[in-house]
Amino acid sequence: MGHARRKARLARGLEFFGMTAPALIAILLFVEIPFLMSITFSFTKWNGLDKAVKFIGLANYTELLTTDPGLGSAMIFTLLFTVIAVAATNVIALLLAVILDADIRGKNVLRAAFYIPNIISLIIIGYVWRFIFSRGFDSFSALTHLGIFQLSWLGDSRMAFASVALVSVWQSIGFYMVIYIAGLQTVPREQLEAAVIDGSGPVSRFFRITLPLIMPSVTVAVFYSLSNALKAFDVIFSLTFGGPGTATTSIALDIYKTAFSDSRFGYGSAKSVVLFLLILTLTVYQLTAFKRREVET
Amino acid sequence: MKRPRGALAISLVMWACALIYLYPLFLVVINSLKSFSEIMANVVALPSRLSGENFVNAFTLMRYPNLFLNTLFVTTMGTAGVVLLSSIAGYKLSRTRTRLSWLVFLLCVAPMMIPFHSFMIALVKVARTLHLTNSTWGLGIIYWGLGVPLSLFMYHGFVKTVPKELDDCAFIDGCRPLRAFFQVIFPLLQPVTVSVVVINAMWMWNDFLLPLLILSGAKKSMTLQLAAYNFFGQYKIEWQSAMAGVLLTITPAIIFYLILQRHIIKGMVAGAVKG
Amino acid sequence: MKRSVLVAAFIVLCAALLTGQGKTLKLFFYSPELTDQYNDMARAYQAQAGVTLDITVQQADYVTLLRAKLNSGDIPDVFMSSAYADNTTYKDYVYDLTNEDFMKLLEPTALTGVTVSGRITGYPFLVQSHSFIYNKKVFSAAGITALPRTVSEYDAAAQKLKARGLQPFATGFKEWWVLPQTAWQVLAPIKDSYGGDYANFVDKLNSGALKFKNIKEMSTVFDVLDLIKKYGGPKPMESDFNDQCSLLATGKAAIIHQGNWAEDTIRKTTPDVDIGYLLGPVGSSPAKAGIMFDSNQTIRVAKDGPNVQDALAWLRWLTTSDYGKKWIPDQIKQLSPIKGAKASSAQLAQATVSLLAAKTPNYSWYYQRFPTGTEQGLGIILQGYCAGQTNRQQTLDALDAAYTKIVNASK
Repeated sequence: MGHARRKARLARGLEFFGMTAPALIAILLFVEIPFLMSITFSFTKWNGLDKAVKFIGLANYTELLTTDPGLGSAMIFTLLFTVIAVAATNVIALLLAVILDADIRGKNVLRAAFYIPNIISLIIIGYVWRFIFSRGFDSFSALTHLGIFQLSWLGDSRMAFASVALVSVWQSIGFYMVIYIAGLQTVPREQLEAAVIDGSGPVSRFFRITLPLIMPSVTVAVFYSLSNALKAFDVIFSLTFGGPGTATTSIALDIYKTAFSDSRFGYGSAKSVVLFLLILTLTVYQLTAFKRREVET
Repeated sequence: MKRPRGALAISLVMWACALIYLYPLFLVVINSLKSFSEIMANVVALPSRLSGENFVNAFTLMRYPNLFLNTLFVTTMGTAGVVLLSSIAGYKLSRTRTRLSWLVFLLCVAPMMIPFHSFMIALVKVARTLHLTNSTWGLGIIYWGLGVPLSLFMYHGFVKTVPKELDDCAFIDGCRPLRAFFQVIFPLLQPVTVSVVVINAMWMWNDFLLPLLILSGAKKSMTLQLAAYNFFGQYKIEWQSAMAGVLLTITPAIIFYLILQRHIIKGMVAGAVKG
Repeated sequence: MKRSVLVAAFIVLCAALLTGQGKTLKLFFYSPELTDQYNDMARAYQAQAGVTLDITVQQADYVTLLRAKLNSGDIPDVFMSSAYADNTTYKDYVYDLTNEDFMKLLEPTALTGVTVSGRITGYPFLVQSHSFIYNKKVFSAAGITALPRTVSEYDAAAQKLKARGLQPFATGFKEWWVLPQTAWQVLAPIKDSYGGDYANFVDKLNSGALKFKNIKEMSTVFDVLDLIKKYGGPKPMESDFNDQCSLLATGKAAIIHQGNWAEDTIRKTTPDVDIGYLLGPVGSSPAKAGIMFDSNQTIRVAKDGPNVQDALAWLRWLTTSDYGKKWIPDQIKQLSPIKGAKASSAQLAQATVSLLAAKTPNYSWYYQRFPTGTEQGLGIILQGYCAGQTNRQQTLDALDAAYTKIVNASK
């Protein structure tokens, strides 16, 4: 009896290992081990090139916590940006997914239309939007005489924040719309049809039936958009390069500048570790909170 | 649930939104038809004449046929690998409710929180040690590691919509677990698979930084995005070629997306009879 | 004509790579605007020496990529960098060119930037100049005959232009790198306070004995930045390099701060535009107004590269062959570091040569001596000042803080 039990347990263990190992190995090899290697640099003073590397213990971390005003303002920017971007992106993406799930002409083309910005290269997006904000808005303001087009969207520190958020949301909505569309497909039509017969309106149907059932999608989307917003780099890099001055510099961009422009690779690695810990804390908290709300069929 | 008049109004509003939404793309298109000086003079104006010259130029400079195949190969291999690895692992981790399983799950999902720039140089070193640099094969394999986290997360969540009873039906025949998985469970995960394919194929097709780091030594193995970026310099940007190059790069992706969208509808109609 | 040359070059390069005939040198360059010229040169070298030059050109992520390559052991035979401070940055990787015969054929002034303690660490690629560039037609249309040389003269000229409904400056302030090149030109005569030697000046900054907030000439720097912004059109912080070139070329702006490398882009918009250099204002004395002139873009041979001797042979060919000597003046249309090289036909290059011949003050790009990493950091701080984020005192303090941090980090 015990022998058979153990054999069954071994078989289950092998099955578990066999099915999960390939994925885990790929992740360890190409992300986690390199990241651990980078962490060792956070305890050094290294410019990324010298063959000799100097260990300095926790000095980088002390500096980062005490005398780095740039990192402080980058954190404030990033957190503010994250709140706005995550909220806006998820609400609009969900709304779009719901509307484009209904019976509408040409909804495939419409879905593609909203998705396209997500596949255009970010350097192009940066340059095209730069043109829109400066020359384009000049033309629009000449045509419409609306004050909004006369503002300096990229040159004024506060407007630049709005510009970065706008372009970021514009670029990413399609992606999350895809996730929500997939989620909506799993909502059984019978339940919705039954609710129609009961006489409940679309809004009530959405909040009582649809939303609880698509919580897995919401969890994925919010989790991913949260970590992406905290890591925000590409759109900012191509649109403002963190400027004017440091008005739109996110933590990730600050890390990039530290490591590659200031040539302080060790210090940059320390900042990366801090960013990772920040993301880890916030997302795990979000994950556990949302997972509790998921409904299992 | 058809309400003809309401649906029409919503349609029109959505179409209007979509058109405004795509205005930047419209700018890319009209500027790809202009000459350099025309673009510099006024970016938002319509082209004075339609000329395909920029496309021919970009096509040649980017060595389009060769690089198209490279990009296609890398994207296909990367996406297929990600779907395979993450569906199997995501399923198993979701069904196994142990501490170990939760730990492995967290390990698999953790990369989503790590900013790419913080480990990319070490990644190049690892890739070189494993002889994965300067080859499209190598790039495809590295993409598995980068794409699995999100995809596995998605599968992990969606497996919950597949009733556990089906697992037992599948495995009870003494079938090997993998076969059972692909014949019974996997088809039910179709919406997620489609999303996973779309998401991964799109970012792999358009990715720039990793191919730059891995493939920069091998001109024959370059991807389309790398070639398109070469139009951008600090002191001179070949706008006309860059815009054409971008369109040449994203058009296959858009076509792919449209085709796949139609598949979702077919799959949904068939899969609606489940339960 | 150009396209078929390109196609030919690509076919030749691919063929050469595929057949693997002879040696192949791996070159890693930036400045993609020169890709045509790089390929043409490679084609010529292939024909004359049978060696293939595999040139990879990047811009945006050049430094990142170079570091990844050097760190992972994927060392190119030849790469590019700035001069001065980069001599120290790449010190573990560069081959010492001091005893190479062809180095004697280069202008001594071009070699100052790459020489450290008597050792030559790189091969000067381009000699360049930068200052204020003006559109001659616009100036004459506005009735400006005397070219401005002091801050007040610039102000007067700007007012005249504005009165005519023209935008005097296209600021370029959106690019962080335009700020340093503009600002440090105003500060250029500072060497006179330090025994005529920039090295002395920078040493004092590095040791902390001198701080930016104690340099009284910094107030003139701020004055000039204020002036450019004031007359820089409705959205001065949004003007980037393209904006500068296109507005100058079309005559919508009269003055930009750029270098002779910009001429190519300017002419692509308006091929027959008439441009020239204005001397940069350094305060109220016109005698010291001048241009910035130096060789900064540097070619370096990797000492751990697989084909060092072949790389040196290529450099020798570049310096001594007919093609090599004409490459920079005729094809790249800039100034060559080779002694006795012919003049380029580019208007700004010729303007540089005649200004130098007339003994106009010319200053080396001394700011490249600031430790590697400061250029962008200081540029961004100055950008913040122009955007109104910091006042003068705060900006000076920020400059000092950033500078000190980087100096400490490199010790």
